[in-house]
Amino acid sequence: MFAPTYFSRRHFLKDCGVGLGKIGLAGLLADSFAAEPGNVLGARASHFAPKAKRVIHLFMAGAPSQLEMFDYKPALTKYEGKPIPPEVIGGQRYAFIRPDAAALGPRFQFSKHGQCGAELGETLPHLAGIVDDITIIKSVHTEQFNHAPAQIFFQTGFAVPGRPSIGSWALYGLGAESQNLPAFVVMSTGSGLSGGSALFSSGFLPSVYNGVRFRNTGDPILDVSSPPGIDARVQRESLDLIGGLNRKRLGAVGDPEIATRIAAYEMAFRLQTSAPELTDLSSESKATLDMYGCDPDKPSFARSCLLARRMMERGVRYVNIFHEGWDAHSNVEGNVRTNCKATDQASAALVMDLKQRGLLDDTLVVWGGEFGRTPMVESNSALGRALGRDHHPQAFTVWMAGGGIRKGFTMGETDEMGFNIVEDPVSIFDLQATILHLLGFDHERLTFRTQGRDFRLTDVHGEVIKKILA
Amino acid sequence: MLNPFPLLLRLCLSMWLLADGSAAGKIDFQRDVRPILSDRCFKCHGPDVDKRKAGLRLDVREDSLKPAKSGEHAVVPGKPDASELIARIFSADEKEIMPPPEMKKPLSGEQKVILKRWIAEGAEYQPHWAYVKPVTPCSPPVKQTAWVRNPIDAFVLAKLEASGMRPAAPATLQALARRAALDLTGLPPPPEALAAFIRNPTDNGYEAFVDSLLASPHYGERWARRWLDLARYADTNGYEKDRQRSVWPYRNWVVKALNADMPFDQFTIDQLAGDMLPAATPDQIIATGFHRNTMLNEEGGIDPLEFRFNAMVDRVGTTATTWLGLTMQCCQCHTHKYDPILHTEFYGMMAFLNNADEPDYDLPDAAEAAQYQSRLKQAEALFAKLPEQFPGGKVEAGKAFTAWLADKQKLAVTWTSLKPLEAKSNMPLLTVQPDNSILGSGDITKTDTFDLTYKMAQKHVTAIRLEALPDDSLPSHGPGMCYYEGPKGDFFLGEFKVIVNGKPVKFTAASESYSKNNFGNNPVTALLAVDGNPETGWSCAARYGERHEAVFVPAEPLTGGEVKVQMLMGRHFAATLGHFRISVTSESKAVKAQDLDDSLARLLTLPADQLVSADRDKLFHAFLLKEPKLEKATAEIRKLREPPAAATTLVMRERPASHPRPTFRHHRGEFAQPKEAVEPVTLSVLHPFAKNLPKNRLGFAEWLVSPDNPLTPRVVMNRQWAALFGTGIVKTVQDFGYQGELPSHPELLDWLASEFIKQKWSMKAMHKLMVMSSTYRQSSEGKTPERDAGNRLLSHFPRTRLDAEIIRDAMLSASGLLTEKLGGPSVFPPQPDGVMEVAYGKFSWKTSTGPDRYRRSLYTFMKRTAPFALFTTFDGPTGEACLAARETANSPMQALAGLNDVVVTEAAQALGRVLAASSVSDEQRVTLLFQRALSRDPDAGEREMLLPFVKTQRARLAAGKLDAVKIGGAPGTTMDAAAWTLAARSVFNLDEFLTKG
Repeated sequence: MFAPTYFSRRHFLKDCGVGLGKIGLAGLLADSFAAEPGNVLGARASHFAPKAKRVIHLFMAGAPSQLEMFDYKPALTKYEGKPIPPEVIGGQRYAFIRPDAAALGPRFQFSKHGQCGAELGETLPHLAGIVDDITIIKSVHTEQFNHAPAQIFFQTGFAVPGRPSIGSWALYGLGAESQNLPAFVVMSTGSGLSGGSALFSSGFLPSVYNGVRFRNTGDPILDVSSPPGIDARVQRESLDLIGGLNRKRLGAVGDPEIATRIAAYEMAFRLQTSAPELTDLSSESKATLDMYGCDPDKPSFARSCLLARRMMERGVRYVNIFHEGWDAHSNVEGNVRTNCKATDQASAALVMDLKQRGLLDDTLVVWGGEFGRTPMVESNSALGRALGRDHHPQAFTVWMAGGGIRKGFTMGETDEMGFNIVEDPVSIFDLQATILHLLGFDHERLTFRTQGRDFRLTDVHGEVIKKILA
Repeated sequence: MLNPFPLLLRLCLSMWLLADGSAAGKIDFQRDVRPILSDRCFKCHGPDVDKRKAGLRLDVREDSLKPAKSGEHAVVPGKPDASELIARIFSADEKEIMPPPEMKKPLSGEQKVILKRWIAEGAEYQPHWAYVKPVTPCSPPVKQTAWVRNPIDAFVLAKLEASGMRPAAPATLQALARRAALDLTGLPPPPEALAAFIRNPTDNGYEAFVDSLLASPHYGERWARRWLDLARYADTNGYEKDRQRSVWPYRNWVVKALNADMPFDQFTIDQLAGDMLPAATPDQIIATGFHRNTMLNEEGGIDPLEFRFNAMVDRVGTTATTWLGLTMQCCQCHTHKYDPILHTEFYGMMAFLNNADEPDYDLPDAAEAAQYQSRLKQAEALFAKLPEQFPGGKVEAGKAFTAWLADKQKLAVTWTSLKPLEAKSNMPLLTVQPDNSILGSGDITKTDTFDLTYKMAQKHVTAIRLEALPDDSLPSHGPGMCYYEGPKGDFFLGEFKVIVNGKPVKFTAASESYSKNNFGNNPVTALLAVDGNPETGWSCAARYGERHEAVFVPAEPLTGGEVKVQMLMGRHFAATLGHFRISVTSESKAVKAQDLDDSLARLLTLPADQLVSADRDKLFHAFLLKEPKLEKATAEIRKLREPPAAATTLVMRERPASHPRPTFRHHRGEFAQPKEAVEPVTLSVLHPFAKNLPKNRLGFAEWLVSPDNPLTPRVVMNRQWAALFGTGIVKTVQDFGYQGELPSHPELLDWLASEFIKQKWSMKAMHKLMVMSSTYRQSSEGKTPERDAGNRLLSHFPRTRLDAEIIRDAMLSASGLLTEKLGGPSVFPPQPDGVMEVAYGKFSWKTSTGPDRYRRSLYTFMKRTAPFALFTTFDGPTGEACLAARETANSPMQALAGLNDVVVTEAAQALGRVLAASSVSDEQRVTLLFQRALSRDPDAGEREMLLPFVKTQRARLAAGKLDAVKIGGAPGTTMDAAAWTLAARSVFNLDEFLTKG
């Protein structure tokens, strides 16, 4: 009843449990780099030896104020209350403020830290402790000045939903290391995401490259728990029944997709064990929990960071943690204080923890938002806003650490007002090109054929930021 | 385009004889050469004149033969050694070699040889097949003539025979019935229809079965889903806020049109331009929702015109994908790198579509209107009793009214409206109405300015009144024009400036009949509109569709003369006042804004003895309704009198000739870089735009479905084919251009396209032809031959995983849960908690109860930023972009959903109960289970696997190891029902269940 000859020629599908369907396969096979056709989630070689095998991207959604945290501009205090000269502002459109809004000085003290002497605002005491391990880029700029388009642009290189996210590209390029956990995981804390599921969508890439949401409440992964009343034995016996009937069908029909499905069900069964094991923090020491500032039973950014480390240990390829809440249209001082309290300790702890476990060398950590905030104040009595900052695409700060990144380095300068970049501008495409580079890819050659042409994450742009490479 | 081939085509000696490889030996331009040139050369030597290098163009033969800038000839027919192209591709010099190394697309040795042979053989070009109108091909001769049921089979069989292959045996009746039912209705076959077919397994019996499926109302639901993928239908606006929208009437329309087999040309015209048809019916207006399915960004602070532009870009791209199979989106930024489509043609096509306003349309609802009339009658009856309910009865009411009237008369003011001499704005069109009001229409911005000029005859003006008026043309009936971010119909008047005879007027007092701020609790008064700060002002949130007024009192009375009024409107979203009127008074008493209809206010100015009794009645009426002592009774009356909140849908409304919207070419496709204005033009590579067609949306729609269009019929037929056979005849269903794949069966595609027009664009006729063919009726079992691993030649029926929605619907149907109600607003079936966690603003998924839990998946609420989880897992659409073909991935996440999702669980529980309740043997229950889920009987081997499973589970239930109530999900679940629930759950997870085989 079971005739393996029908599908053995394509037995590679059997092991990974992931099939593509017709469209995806076509695009993949047309790709120019040497992927083993069909083995879409198996680990595979990149264009050149990668510096980073895994990525954790701490996405500070809502856009943190670089002027309070990284880009110290005492001149703003001097000009406080006066409008910024129109020739500086140019034709920039703003979301809420008028271009003639007055300058607003930094709300916090800054001081220098570490051997590198990186300058940070006072709300980042924990980051101050690891500045010698990271690169701070103060000269990032973007093309979008509204949240959803800017976030989607950061993740996919395009401001309108529909393109693959960078995590999907990474997975498409590298495949998965783990067969027991999703390879691209997405967590979020704070309120919902402006960019929605487009931020971790596989776009036109096969949907197996979609980011998989790890939830804060209920099942960490959708449907990872068996329905009520169904214990492990029923689940196992059901799988055996399904597998048996499917194998019988495979014998009769000979469609290799059936073999893939059989394997997919086995992986699903393993996921049902590995996901709860991953999220069970009882094996973490108190010292570790304290380092992150993590309450193991409460959803938080800190808990997500700790989970991310555990994922790195278990071979997850790409993790996005979205922390939403930085949109300081009013009271930027309070906003920065609150959000730093929620994120500073755990972000620094993640880097330290990866380092002490020897994982930092080949894990890339990226921290940053979708754009910056204006040197000008936002105040609006009809909206009840005061002492805030509006969206600022011209200049903002991102930091990176780990696999292949220079240590104790600060790059880029903005002008006296922090309005425009005057040295080493870095575009979002440059960041994307650099992340792919660290993962072992020439961003110009990591392409996918659809709609009649080869698409890539960076479109026709992007230069690897050589200065920040170790 | 010059075409030397029509004659050949007519003789049935089409170029495809070359394309299928049977005439190997001679190089074929279409098959062998253009794909290489297109992919490796056209980027710099193609249609885009801006990016063209060295003055060399290779996509047109005459140009390729001309000398390049260097003076060299790239192509010398017959002389590869004299052709610079050959020299360059074979060059070993990094600086010489083509394509240049930095392109990272080197030519293979084989490709170089092909180009060389092509030039040696004369460097002939052929027009691209898809740009040439199909000519009905003759059926090719075949050997196995008995297999041919209709021309489809002849085309398929000819290819198979030419490749030395044979078609597969026919599918079993059950497999065929399941396949056809899933394809035509998206549901398993109805048991009675299936039984009838099995009883009469002849061609006639099958035809009757197919006819019953085509006649089923579920046909429209199934094919609507496919169409809505293209239409990027969703129930929310997309982007950050992703709020709910009401456009489900458009979905209803699609289902209805497909069920009625509306000819595809009319189906097209109604959706693109139904509003412009003479005496357009409500249905034709609703149909224009097709292009209203674009996303709407409501994030605070966006530039609305930027996202309107993005929506227009999407409309052009979607139109091109849906009807033309062209990747026009490339031309947003530049002339197409591969296909002969110009940058300007993209905007020329946009110009056709860009001249409409985008209102909400109130659905006419006769039943609701009748109910409203009866509510009004009820209100009238209640109203008649009001005076008696006044404390002290009628007499006291009369007294109180007299006092009220005297009071109001004291305050009454005679207003005279000023006639606008000129009304200008930065963007919206302002039209002066006969009643001296001004009505706005068209586009609005975050900072709109109205400049109005009046002549004031009055010599002593003590106050100016601004009425904000409702109008049916405005969002939520006005008075504002806000349509995103803020509530529809909202306005925010930041500054109200008056200049009399060149002198700005200073106001010392201002009042308003009503004010409310939609964002925050800060005041929004008339006085704030004259404070010099545009960020503060007057707004009237919550009470939309009503009249409001503001009264401004100058420091000194104004003398007559020229009056200029400047109004500045908007906040972090566009909030322009859409309908308003300015009046003045010379009253010497203190003047305040009144919350009273203007006609009543006028009555109050009359001397008491001039009030006729009808007028008195009106005033008495108003008094009673406003009387606080009658609050409880009047609240009920007000409620009854509320006009019905009509269901609305998003539609197009062509702009008036007096106010066309200009379209510009946008440099690099950027919103912020508009260049020269562009006239509507269609693509020069396609059929001409007929002279008798109007140069507007309607004319464009008619151009699309002209029988001369070489693309539309092919593209549409190819998509139908792909839906049934898994892969299109042209595999790249969304790209028929140079970069698309050549058709596997070009003549078949051309025959289908011609037949489609011959069948008067009847979709049902074409679907029937396809499913009646022997090709369709083949078995899906069997070996895929090595030489056709992709089964493109169709030596057996291709197995395809079912669409997400069909998987769910099939489970609901098999378990008997499916609610077969057609149409209506979207519903919220159960899905796992936490799906909405990611959504901005914590969208609440209020799970439907009762029959709405189990409606067909087509009606599931589509939230763009957090789509229904089960559908996403099975490659369902997000509604964010036009989708011509779905993926059919096969992943562990699907396995998790299949095992554990709430839909599967509930369906298994229901089926478990059904099986347990039937008083038959376990063997027969297994049969019943297979019949319901897979439309066939189990074989012995399958029975032998299922029965022990059920036995084991029963034993564990009996031993108390498993809890029947938990498994069954309902109190009183028997152990039998629980055991069969588990069996049903397993069967729902079989590959056979998830696949159309």
